[in-house]
Amino acid sequence: MTEALGGKYLTFTLATEEYGVPVLRVREIIKMMDITEVPQVPPHIKGVLNLRGKVIPVIDMRLKFGFTQAEITSRTCIIVVEVAVAARRALMGIIVDHVLEVLNIVADEIEQTPEFGDRVCTDYMTGVAKVRGTVKILLDLDRVLGTDDAALRAA
Amino acid sequence: MPGVCRLRLRNTPVTDDELAFLRDDSEMADLFLAEALDHLGTIEAALLALDERPGDITLLNDIFRPFHTIKGNAGALGVTSVQEVAHKVENLLDLARSGRRTLGPADVDVVLRAVDVLSSMIRDVGVRLSGQPGADLAPVARALIESVDLLISGESEVRPKPDTTDTTERRPDVAATARRSEENGAIKVDTRKLDSLVDAVGELIVVQSLIQEDPALAMRLEERLAGNLSQLKRITVDLQRSAMALRMVPIRQAFQKVSRIVRDLSRKADKSVELVVSGEDTELDRKMVEEIADPLMHMVRNSIDHAVEPPAVRTAAGKHPQARLTLSAYHQGGHIVIEIADDGRGLDTERIKARALERGLIAPGASPSVEEINALIFEPGFSTAEKVTEISGRGVGMDVVRRNIDALRGRIEIATAAGKGTTFTIRLPLTLAVLDGLIVGVGCERFVMPTTGVRESLRPLASQVHNVHGSPRMVQVRDSLLPLVSLGELFALPHESDPCKATVVVIQDAGSRVGLIVDALLGKQEVLIKSLGETFANVRGIAGGAILGDGRIGLILDAHGIVELERGVSRAAA
Repeated sequence: MTEALGGKYLTFTLATEEYGVPVLRVREIIKMMDITEVPQVPPHIKGVLNLRGKVIPVIDMRLKFGFTQAEITSRTCIIVVEVAVAARRALMGIIVDHVLEVLNIVADEIEQTPEFGDRVCTDYMTGVAKVRGTVKILLDLDRVLGTDDAALRAA
Repeated sequence: MPGVCRLRLRNTPVTDDELAFLRDDSEMADLFLAEALDHLGTIEAALLALDERPGDITLLNDIFRPFHTIKGNAGALGVTSVQEVAHKVENLLDLARSGRRTLGPADVDVVLRAVDVLSSMIRDVGVRLSGQPGADLAPVARALIESVDLLISGESEVRPKPDTTDTTERRPDVAATARRSEENGAIKVDTRKLDSLVDAVGELIVVQSLIQEDPALAMRLEERLAGNLSQLKRITVDLQRSAMALRMVPIRQAFQKVSRIVRDLSRKADKSVELVVSGEDTELDRKMVEEIADPLMHMVRNSIDHAVEPPAVRTAAGKHPQARLTLSAYHQGGHIVIEIADDGRGLDTERIKARALERGLIAPGASPSVEEINALIFEPGFSTAEKVTEISGRGVGMDVVRRNIDALRGRIEIATAAGKGTTFTIRLPLTLAVLDGLIVGVGCERFVMPTTGVRESLRPLASQVHNVHGSPRMVQVRDSLLPLVSLGELFALPHESDPCKATVVVIQDAGSRVGLIVDALLGKQEVLIKSLGETFANVRGIAGGAILGDGRIGLILDAHGIVELERGVSRAAA
């Protein structure tokens, strides 16, 4: 399974941690924009924004992963990604602290997600990559943001 | 021959290796599926016309050609099961085309069934291409092929005479109109492309208004610049209008489904019904045409089952034994009006009233108007039918009809006269894409309230507001006491809590009215409706989003959802 994981990843930070998403899923990176809040949703769903005429939902990845909310700085970005929601492709924005770089990660550098026990949910990680001494958590976007997200469905 | 066919058919339907080719080329697959369904639609229209004019060679060709195309395409793409069924039917049609057979009602029945079977087989191909398990259509396909064989082998036994009753004149020639539109030089465009065009135009309008309103520009507005700007505005608005028009299609498709159902049902119910259709070229939003077909079919089903009397009863009442159902569509005052009229027995207001009293829908001693009583047929589970037939009478239906029409932001009215008939009038907005909205502000958020749901707005005096448990819960508007809902409270936003300093918008949902407290009214605007998508599917009280003049998104409120939310909230509080 890991051999299919090698490829280009866009990496970004949340607090002190580094994450990666497959670059093929990334549509664009925009700076923080005005977001319209939507009522009755969990706090990590920040609302919707107008991406050149398209209404797309925006998720705060810090809140999603249980970090504290951060000040919005000039480095705060929204990465627009393509996600499978209910068997359809949809665009979503994820708020991250700052975008690092596009990395070519070869399959050898990727290890399967270690077992952390019950305390850490690893369902939405595809693996962990060790590149130049830093650890990058690779995300399965469909799992994190798509229909599998129980929190979203229950909202 | 038939034996061979049956043997080969073991593999039907559509085993998965026959989809190998289509799976490789999804674009080709989409095209094949869309085209096949389109052809089946043409065939159905022509068949219904052929039922009136058996032996019409142009109509026969209109049926034969698309069948042949479907067969050819299916064969070329390896979808053998579809090819096989189409081929069989083509044999039957070929006999008719070469003059060796006249297609009577029995043949038309079978070919219509073939259209249904092929439609489901083709939809099934689509389902399986998307990776889901398909249905087992092999027995249906086999049964159909057998009945075609039966017809062909019994060729000599029945040869119905061409039937030339005067009714043919009155039914519009569906096939001919379909041909006409084909000759108009139309092209097929993927709807997603249209949607993205409409999106882009929406964006253009926003940018255009941003530039127009830009304070830096307004300061140094020279005549030439002002002229160019207004020119830009005019073109943008024109462009928007044309883009919207692209999504409009004639209502014909929905009407055609109705003609089919009239034909099938009047036979089943042993009633003779003539359908008169007009205005099938009236254009409305593509999505609306799809959404309105089901409610229309429900209503026609009800009309044939309940309203239309058996021929004997009609003759006894001095009416023509053949009932007449009129279906028409036209534009009126910025709306599309669809009318369904029958000349049946009319609604029995007394019986509806009795049934409503029985079920506690009206209070004993109340004296509702005739209109109010008739409107009760739209209540869930309401039916005065004594017997439940295969067609209708279970009391499901009319409430669904109203719900569907509400969802399209339309209205439905009834006019009825005992013994003379009933007319249902449906009024729909021209398009689902645009909405006339009242922009209201709460805290720093803005919301769009569809004006169709707004009755009035007011700033109440302290004497009009009544507190319950210490907070303002009721407002007196003239004679009625309405519950007050604070939008800010409902959506947990910072808001003005004193209704006398805020504004109350009276909204109406079906029968109930509610006073909605908002901070301010900010204006009226025509907005493009955007879906918020799957993520927010469970959010109640919000119908979508709209991009406002400054590029920010305003959420569109849903009166029905708000009333329900409020009920839920007050129930939880109690």
